[in-house]
Amino acid sequence: MTSTDYYLNLCADCVKKAVRLGAEWCDVDAGTSRDISVTIEKSGIKAADAGQGEDLAIRCFIRGGMGYAAVSGRDTGDIGEAVARAVALAREATPDPDFKRLPEPEDAPEVEGLFDDAVAGMSVEDVVRIAAANLEAGRAAEPGVILSGSIGLTVGEGALASSTGVAVTARGTSIEGVIEALIRRGEDTGYYYEFDFGRHRADCRLEAVAEAAVAGARRFLGARRISSGRRTVVLGPLASYGFLGALVSAANAESIQRGRGYLCGKLGQAIASPHLTIVDDALVPRGLKSGAHDGEGTRHRPLAVIERGVLASLLHNSYTAGKAGAASTGHGTHGGGISPTNLRPALGARPAADLLREVAEGIYLESGEIRPDPASGDVSASIDFGFYIKDGRVQYPVESAMLGGSVLDWLPRLDAVSSDAREEPGLLMPTLRIQDVQVAGAE
Amino acid sequence: MEDLARYVCDQARRRGAAFADVRAVHRRAESVLVQDGRADKLSSATDRGIGVRVLVGRCWGFASADSLERSRADRCLDDALALARASEAFVTDPAAIAHVEPVQAEDRCEPEVPPGSMPVREKIARLLEYERAARAEGGSAVVNSVVTYSDGQRDQVLANTAGTLIRSSGSRAVCSCMIVASDGKILQRGVEHRGIAGGAELLRRTTPEELGVRAAAKALALLKAKPAPAGRFTVLFHPSITGLLVHEALGHNAEADAVWAGESILEGRLGDLLAAPGVSIYDDSTLAGAFGSYAYDSEGTAGRRRPIIENGRLVGFLHSLETAAKFQAAPTGSARAASYDCRPIVRMTNTFMARGTVPFAGMLAGVERGVYLEDGHWGYVFVQKGQFICHAGRARMIERGRLGEPLRNVSISSMTLDTLKHIDAVGDDFEMRMPGMCGKQGQAAPTDCGGPHVRVREVVVGGQDGA
Repeated sequence: MTSTDYYLNLCADCVKKAVRLGAEWCDVDAGTSRDISVTIEKSGIKAADAGQGEDLAIRCFIRGGMGYAAVSGRDTGDIGEAVARAVALAREATPDPDFKRLPEPEDAPEVEGLFDDAVAGMSVEDVVRIAAANLEAGRAAEPGVILSGSIGLTVGEGALASSTGVAVTARGTSIEGVIEALIRRGEDTGYYYEFDFGRHRADCRLEAVAEAAVAGARRFLGARRISSGRRTVVLGPLASYGFLGALVSAANAESIQRGRGYLCGKLGQAIASPHLTIVDDALVPRGLKSGAHDGEGTRHRPLAVIERGVLASLLHNSYTAGKAGAASTGHGTHGGGISPTNLRPALGARPAADLLREVAEGIYLESGEIRPDPASGDVSASIDFGFYIKDGRVQYPVESAMLGGSVLDWLPRLDAVSSDAREEPGLLMPTLRIQDVQVAGAE
Repeated sequence: MEDLARYVCDQARRRGAAFADVRAVHRRAESVLVQDGRADKLSSATDRGIGVRVLVGRCWGFASADSLERSRADRCLDDALALARASEAFVTDPAAIAHVEPVQAEDRCEPEVPPGSMPVREKIARLLEYERAARAEGGSAVVNSVVTYSDGQRDQVLANTAGTLIRSSGSRAVCSCMIVASDGKILQRGVEHRGIAGGAELLRRTTPEELGVRAAAKALALLKAKPAPAGRFTVLFHPSITGLLVHEALGHNAEADAVWAGESILEGRLGDLLAAPGVSIYDDSTLAGAFGSYAYDSEGTAGRRRPIIENGRLVGFLHSLETAAKFQAAPTGSARAASYDCRPIVRMTNTFMARGTVPFAGMLAGVERGVYLEDGHWGYVFVQKGQFICHAGRARMIERGRLGEPLRNVSISSMTLDTLKHIDAVGDDFEMRMPGMCGKQGQAAPTDCGGPHVRVREVVVGGQDGA
């Protein structure tokens, strides 16, 4: 019996037990993962860690009320208690007529490249060597740089079974390097981070992360304060990824059905300029957020969330789909939540350099959190890693400056998406340009 | 668990570890989600496992397993030793450990109502009371109400090769209420939360008025609030924002691992005057019932009150056993691990600014045009740059020394050292009610923060209104 078969049998057994105890609907997710991580601190290796664990989570419904129990380890007593507890909690939950059913079994295309034997076979010495190569390259690029971060990998496999007959298994690997570089020259500080990740060792240039971080830190030396005013804001690939990720997360059907999100009442309406199209696609081979099924066993399909500025679809799990009389879009998590997968914005006609060249005065946000208020859509965000633009050229990094506005006001003023983009496994990250954004400065 | 922990320490010593510690943990948690009149989701979780940390030569190795079986513990030790040895050649800053006096202790924090002893039905009933009170306050404007409660119990045995053996048990409980309200045009939300190092007595102590009614009142007030202004202002911090300031802007910079690594802006500044003489800031894990409190940290060092700034002068950092050795300082009991599968790292607990002498009216009187920031929500910091961000759930304009119109939620950003210098009044009041989970290196630690009202000059307010 393979390991995934073991977890599938375990899940199926738990489902049977839960049904015997009175669960009307039930699904069980179980699996194992192991990880290795090497920590870098003060430009050297600080520690190496390893972990291995098994988890099982069971979700039961009685008259629509949901009980959930999670347990770690393989102890059969603990697992049996978790099953009984989930059923007992479902019995205590308030009946919910909006719950209709759990997903039915559904054939799904295999998504290629989610597991890499090369990553699974890596030893701690291999991970240490990658960390050491980064240290060497980073210090060679900038003697005196302070490097920190980590190199790590995860290998996991598991299964999902439900009372409707869903029985799926999955295996996956991931490997990641994140390095921060800090350069101090007198009173001046340059600080930046870089990363690389993937499911396959061959998809990453992990030894080159520190050098890129050092180059970034150099660019952030010499930060200056700026004045307040309304400016053009250019979101670089990392900033645009965060911004669009928050936007797609707001298309969560539960937020809309509950009436608590700023996209309420906007389905089918233009919320952005026609430049913006975003497809959520979990079927991209080797994608970090790829998989054949979601956390409830619904098969994944590409979904156009925003089409030429129109909010075209919401992200559904089985609960919100049942409530809406729609089909689940395959964005359910096993815990009952809703989550986007790989975001693939449609690219524009001109490269990022051209978009920047047309800016008379503005801000280039390389990276940073733009976290709109989930209810109002208001934005009040720090320019963590940004530059002042004048006459189409990046002039200098800025400090103590912020962006303010509303995501619903910004989106119609998005006037360009670049034709080039940073690509990471599964993800596409173009540059965006937004006109007339409020900037607050310290000058 | 004790026998297992002792056994692993003995084995580690025999196999050449200069130091080792072991944490064997069993945790149980339960949570309730009430939403729009229904108990929507009831959850429970249990886990147990062991974490083994070894110091071999010049490097740390750490391994964990979700089991308390001896065979798994043996494998953890094998892995931890191998991990340390594999990394040693690339260590530039050799690991160290302060001298440890062995501690033999029993630390049983018995909550009034232990988690698990209150039936889930009673918890649901209480959350529904909070929700009804919120909906009564908010009336037809309320479009969504979410009330949550969770509690958890942790039993732990900590042992190390110096002879420490501490058996501890502790619990924490949190509850929150979020109300989303609409005036037909916009949505706004009000959030209120409470948390204690304790058990389900939190639900008996917390009234519907202080949780549900307050959350609804915040949401309603925000519907009438205007966008905040953008630019540089004199600001008056509510104690919850002061809490974010001392936690994010200063506290993370005072964590000695960041200082030792050369990343903190406080490196080399010990003894310097960084703030006005009226400013004193402490971290204290001994405050009874406070969300960040504990008797012993995850390395077995007793918790204590830790002065960071006294009368404006930087007087100390937060230390683990390792940073204490490197700085030749006393350990402060500040090493915390989120669970058995995490290495202890330097963390804050309950961090606050001590009260000053200026009454609230006096602070307002000195402001010609400014912003009063209330309802601290969240913040973050880049210790390397000394730049921090705090988010206020609501605000008020200050015009000619008086509180003016209400403003929507807004963030501020500034540089830590500038901000400390620009504090020009410290209030004579005090509040610490910001229980939350602080994140660092992927680990979440329960913390609290607070202080008095504080007035600060030249802070950038990231509002929407350029006027």
